[in-house]
Amino acid sequence: MRSVNFWGVWSRGLADGWWRVVCITLMLGVLAVGGGLVLPSAALADRLPIQSYIDRTIANVTDFTLENGMRFIVLERHESPTVSFITYANVGGVDEPPGKTGIAHFLEHLAFKGTTRIGTTDYAAEQPLLDRLDELHREIKRKQAAGAAIDPDALAALKAEFEQVETAANSYAIQNEFGQIVQQAGGVGLNATTSADATRYFYSFPSNKLELWMSLESERFLDPVFREFYKEQQVILEERRLRTDNSPIGATIEAFLATAFTTHPYRHPTIGFAADIEGLSRDEVQAFFETYYVPNNLTVAIVGDVNPKQVRRLAKTYFGRYPAGPTPPPVTQVEPEQTAERSIEVRMQSEPWYIEGYHRPSLNHPDNATYDAIASILSNGRTSRLYSALVQGQQVALYAEGFNGFPGDRYPNLMLFYGLTAPGHSVDEVQAALHEEIQRIASEPVSEIELDRAKTQARASLLRSLNSNSGMASSLVNYQAKTGDWRNLFEQLKAIDAVTAADILRVARATFTDQNRTIARLLPLDAAANP
Amino acid sequence: MLSLLRRLFYPRPKSRSPWLIVVGCVTAIAITLLQPQPSAAATAQHYTDLEFPPLPEIQLPDSTRVELDNGMVVYLVEDHELPLVSGSATIRIGSRFEPTDKIGLAALTGELIRTGGTRDRSADEIDATLEQIAAAVETSIELTVGTASFSALSEDTDTVLTLFADILQHPVFDASKLDLAKNQFRGSIARRNDDPNEIADRELTKLIYGATSPYARTVEYSTLDNITRRDLIDFYTDHVSPDRIILGLVGDFDTKAMKQKVIELFGGWAATSNHELALPEVTPATVNGIYIVDRPDLSQSYVEMGHLGGLRNSPDYAQLGVMNNVLNGFGGRLFDEVRSRQGLAYTVYAAWSANYDYPGLFIAGGQTRAESTADFIRAIRAEIERIRDEAITPAELQAAKDKTLNSFIFNFADPDQTLSRLIRYEYYGYPSDFIFQYQRGIEATTIADVQRVARTYLTPEDLTILVVGNAAQVNPSLNSLDPDRTAQPIDISIPAAS
Repeated sequence: MRSVNFWGVWSRGLADGWWRVVCITLMLGVLAVGGGLVLPSAALADRLPIQSYIDRTIANVTDFTLENGMRFIVLERHESPTVSFITYANVGGVDEPPGKTGIAHFLEHLAFKGTTRIGTTDYAAEQPLLDRLDELHREIKRKQAAGAAIDPDALAALKAEFEQVETAANSYAIQNEFGQIVQQAGGVGLNATTSADATRYFYSFPSNKLELWMSLESERFLDPVFREFYKEQQVILEERRLRTDNSPIGATIEAFLATAFTTHPYRHPTIGFAADIEGLSRDEVQAFFETYYVPNNLTVAIVGDVNPKQVRRLAKTYFGRYPAGPTPPPVTQVEPEQTAERSIEVRMQSEPWYIEGYHRPSLNHPDNATYDAIASILSNGRTSRLYSALVQGQQVALYAEGFNGFPGDRYPNLMLFYGLTAPGHSVDEVQAALHEEIQRIASEPVSEIELDRAKTQARASLLRSLNSNSGMASSLVNYQAKTGDWRNLFEQLKAIDAVTAADILRVARATFTDQNRTIARLLPLDAAANP
Repeated sequence: MLSLLRRLFYPRPKSRSPWLIVVGCVTAIAITLLQPQPSAAATAQHYTDLEFPPLPEIQLPDSTRVELDNGMVVYLVEDHELPLVSGSATIRIGSRFEPTDKIGLAALTGELIRTGGTRDRSADEIDATLEQIAAAVETSIELTVGTASFSALSEDTDTVLTLFADILQHPVFDASKLDLAKNQFRGSIARRNDDPNEIADRELTKLIYGATSPYARTVEYSTLDNITRRDLIDFYTDHVSPDRIILGLVGDFDTKAMKQKVIELFGGWAATSNHELALPEVTPATVNGIYIVDRPDLSQSYVEMGHLGGLRNSPDYAQLGVMNNVLNGFGGRLFDEVRSRQGLAYTVYAAWSANYDYPGLFIAGGQTRAESTADFIRAIRAEIERIRDEAITPAELQAAKDKTLNSFIFNFADPDQTLSRLIRYEYYGYPSDFIFQYQRGIEATTIADVQRVARTYLTPEDLTILVVGNAAQVNPSLNSLDPDRTAQPIDISIPAAS
């Protein structure tokens, strides 16, 4: 999924690191393998010594649902007095109405602006000014839409009043107070991301601040005030310029998705089109919030040094305050089967990239584990087929890989491949070498050695993820929200153990066809520079 | 080398470092567990009404330090939470010691130690063995340090540790793998101007340290062409030696048995290095200039401004840390003013960034739309001036100190954090309790201290300003910053191989 997050800066602490986080990422799940439906065969996984560690983790997980429908998953880990939190709102780019792209992400930014009690010195005085600002903004838009017919002096007067009211409203705002409270109390990793599938809010506290998280996070969505709306709009437009307009790969991906999908909203950029971002109003964001931030659309994971009984009691006290709401509308658009290869070319100031994607079913499809095995065999490590062939063997690419779940995995999505041309080689050579490998996996069974390797790596990858509070919180909530049960995070191992060479052949043959393919070529502005 | 591209496209490099240096790892940290506190109230409370019990005292995990006869230092920390073992050798080496006509030698050597095979095993054999058991060994040489790390399931400890020892002691730098690596480096040179942020980082560093400084210089086609397999072997032989290595091991093992294993695998390795390395001198190359890299295709300006900074062992390091917190983060002055109030940027920062053993930078910047470039620079400069000219408020001081002190426990969430810190401090010659000295320094910092360090260390008139952006759009406004100085163009075209 393409994720965009709230801020690109973190202050430098003691730990080594840089203070800029550029988050243009096409993120997979936390694991190299995604989840899927549970298959009956579980022989290999159960035999392995690591299964006892996985079982121990499962035994430390509890879950509960409040009367209003809000769901909580709690994993006890007492290795250090810290705890990680994640609030998962089951709303993302896919839920945006046409012409309103970027609204989920805009809302994510505004969820850092405070409440009627946080982020303001006097909400009673501030509120009428915020309302007046919205009126003025609507009036200015109306006049601008009228075009030449409008009296320029009247428009200028409106703009002057807008600035004046904005300044007055801002005089009541306490900038970033919500984040300041969290950080001053010892919170780390405070951020949020919006992807095509979901909006996720997260940070970690020392474990003596459990109730502080309960108070702050519940108030955040109980009583939010979307103040500083018009300044934040400018910030988000800067974010779009950074991630998309001035990023060759960002711009290419936006054009690629709009080509690969004709109907499903995966075709839209999560950050939003600039014109859509500019056109959004505060009441539209408010209405979007009221539709999608209902408790039965929210899932929380809490991992670390906590007592689950206490978590449950506090959750009821704090989040039980949310009134239940109707289930948000589902995404109804269904991407039709692709019938012919599609291809685009983007020219920007960049060395070449070759990208291609194939439609595949969602995370919950029985073949999901097979797709994961295919990605692993093609891409995981120096022994993987793409690295061996394209990077080490023919040396046409500096790097090449394929992965699942692009731009999300709640809905049928893409298996995406890309390669960066090596010096003196063209995107056509990368394409030819890539197709050779893709044809091979669709025509000959993979070896037992390769399949075993993929399975072992999946197990080890899950095992290695168990010791991170924030990583486990993210994985548990992801599986709960997307598959309906956090246990599928662990059950997926059984599914991947059950994958056979014949499964891979069947799925690869059905997926890797010419007509199911969309291609993007990113090429330099100066064609001559591309050998 | 391709870290930038990988970062852009995929957060975890898979091919080179399948599990990207699980340096050190996990463990049973010996922290007294916090007893669950009874909830104070059954009704929801506003945050201001809550009170919190204190956290328990931090307790460090048990570690064992041994020195082998050949001079290699070994730290061991047991951690039985998961059946995993990992380790990391810190090697006294760095690209800052490579000859000026062979820039890239250190990085290539670092890569080829792992990918170039050993006396007894081909590179492909090593890859196959490791990946079949989901293990990894990776090596690299960066600016100030070399690293070799491994990660394995504990049941595979012997296999992987044996490979790790072989790779570190007997690399053969296979010629075809060197050709591959050099070609990859050429590819990264060709791609180094694709991301405006990378251009800004690289060019500002060159302006401040000097283009030929070991701390700023870049690999070029011509310097790559000068590097031979013999050079790699010599660089390795001169620098990679047990007396220049600190090895840290953490995970599911018995310390005594592991110590024996390490002696078995590394005890017979004879020390070969016999020369002291003098650190390169650092003097500011450029002070107080405005520079522009013209990119007519960009709608944003990528702004970086900075001057030479200092070391972490400065007596004022903690106070400068408090100053950083006042300027940055949620509620920090730059974020509040430049981003939230003025809406000028998504990213904005200004930070004192100190290094362990050579002067770091004071660096500020971010990105803004072309037409607001000068306003953005003015807004940042205004905050730099303000923290020098005015005392911060008591609330700001408290918030800045609390940020570090209340989150201090996160420096001890995993035993591997403690292990890698111990090794880092020993490597750079810092006291082993440096982190606690820093904590005490933060606690003692006053309002006057913050203003004093800001006035002492931040010199706004020395700031070198670099803009990567559309010169035609940006220049008129840049010239308004200072009528006496016009922006000097910087040519970033990539020199062809000679």
